Amino acid sequence: MNIGFIGFGTMGRPMAEHLLKAGHGLRVWSRRNASADFAVALGAQRCDSVRDVAGGSEIVCTNVTGSADVEGLAAQLAEGLAPGAIHVDFSTIAPSAARRVAALHAARGVDFVDAPVSGGGVGARGATLAIMWGGKAALAPRLAPIFSLLGKTVVHVGDSGAGQVAKACNQMVMVAAIAACAEAARLAAAAGVDFTLVRQAMLGGSAGSRVLDVFGGRMASRDFAAGVEARLHHKDYALLMDEATRIGAPLPVSASVWQQLNALMARGWGAQDTSSLLRVLETARPDRAR
Amino acid sequence: MKVGFIGLGLMGRPMALHLEKAGHELHLWARRPESLAPFAKVNAKIHATPADVAAHAEVVVVMVADAPDVENVCLGENGLASGGKAGLIVVDMSTINPNAARTIGQRLAAKGIEFVDAPVSGGETGAINAALTVMVGGTPAAFEKVRPLLEKMGKSVTLIGDSGAGQVAKACNQILTGVGVLAVAEAFNFAAKSGVDAGKVREALLGGFAYSKILENHGQRMLDRNFKPGFKAWMHQKDLRIVMEEAHRMGLMLPSAAATAQVFNAIVGSGMGENDSISALMLLEKMSTAQE
Repeated sequence: MNIGFIGFGTMGRPMAEHLLKAGHGLRVWSRRNASADFAVALGAQRCDSVRDVAGGSEIVCTNVTGSADVEGLAAQLAEGLAPGAIHVDFSTIAPSAARRVAALHAARGVDFVDAPVSGGGVGARGATLAIMWGGKAALAPRLAPIFSLLGKTVVHVGDSGAGQVAKACNQMVMVAAIAACAEAARLAAAAGVDFTLVRQAMLGGSAGSRVLDVFGGRMASRDFAAGVEARLHHKDYALLMDEATRIGAPLPVSASVWQQLNALMARGWGAQDTSSLLRVLETARPDRAR
Repeated sequence: MKVGFIGLGLMGRPMALHLEKAGHELHLWARRPESLAPFAKVNAKIHATPADVAAHAEVVVVMVADAPDVENVCLGENGLASGGKAGLIVVDMSTINPNAARTIGQRLAAKGIEFVDAPVSGGETGAINAALTVMVGGTPAAFEKVRPLLEKMGKSVTLIGDSGAGQVAKACNQILTGVGVLAVAEAFNFAAKSGVDAGKVREALLGGFAYSKILENHGQRMLDRNFKPGFKAWMHQKDLRIVMEEAHRMGLMLPSAAATAQVFNAIVGSGMGENDSISALMLLEKMSTAQE
């Protein structure tokens, strides 16, 4: 299949590699040529413009940062996409922005699929992502060959925007769990107890979770450099809290977690892992920090 | 003075009428023609577009709902910028995001038009009695030019600082009033659920360190169960959204305002958005009562 691909960051690059290695023809474009060199080396065709990517593709995938980026790309893709083509966006953006892009494409007979993913760089490289998508159910057979190369769990959540709603829920549950781990680590240390052992004990019980394993592990070893950049979670919170305000849904726990993320940004740890929420708590009692 | 006025709602109408009563010539435009009815018999000229208003006025006052509305009136098609001469002063008395105010100010400045942000506190009652608190951001020169107009609408008029500073002050005001109303509602619900008369508690507390105007005025309305607006809950929700957006942008931790904003989400989501923001009390009562 001829597939367009734009956006080769931590997530996009390994995803594009999977598609190329499975034998798909990839049409690529990037703002900086160097970002797409790896794809060209694997046989991808470099295009001169976003519109050019759209021209020869049945499906175009985008994987960028914010709502404005996706809307900007969609406007250019719309000029080139043929009726019947599909634009699949893997970025995490506002559900309302996803719905606007869907409407833009629908006017030209092009389908839009919002397909945000969870699993991070590790999931992207291992093709084990959780993909949650919104769009017409009838598109599933055409999307399956692509999704199956990228992820392990693929769920059609509903109409346009539903994938982004699912991703917002995913971020809420995950980051609140990271914040809870940080508080447990803080309480343990302040009480003079080794969090490494507390975590080990908890992993075997009802509080065991993937977040406690991965992010709790980073807190225990005080390895804040690796993993997910906290600024991306911070960005996601602006989206989901805005959505909550729009709908009139109270999210008291998320609002509180959001403020901890604000403090994390202010302390200058936005480019480090979200397990840095532990260091935000330690700011209040630096004398006791290990 | 020839004064343009755009935004003749609950707040804007009495404010504009105060200016007319003080002898100023009003130049008006309204999205909905019925908003102009109260001005039929006063010294007011009606125009077809904001651009026409700007062309005929020395100062234009804007009093609309949110940043996109201000932007549209100022910089949209047939907006103030397309009709205003260099030297025109636009006074925006709406409550909008401080950063949006700065941006609009810069874009108007490029056309030689001066922008002053002057949001108010005091609600509809304050507007009717010309007793508003006006918080101003802009240059001292522009402030001195518009101060006589602002003093016809408000009792306390303060230049806070540069462009956007008025909106920052208003955001601070909304943190204090939002958290304050919720605190009084929580205290009253706590008293009532403990089997104690909230009215007696209020009376006792008014004499101590917990005294506040909110405890006095909003507290009394809670006791009277008078939930008519006043200040609508959805507007408080909007203002707290602005506060939280700015906190996010700057990386500021506002734990109390964040929690309060969620209560306002719940009030609006429960269909009480058109009530006064003291409806926080009704929400707390509902959430602390067993389902029937």
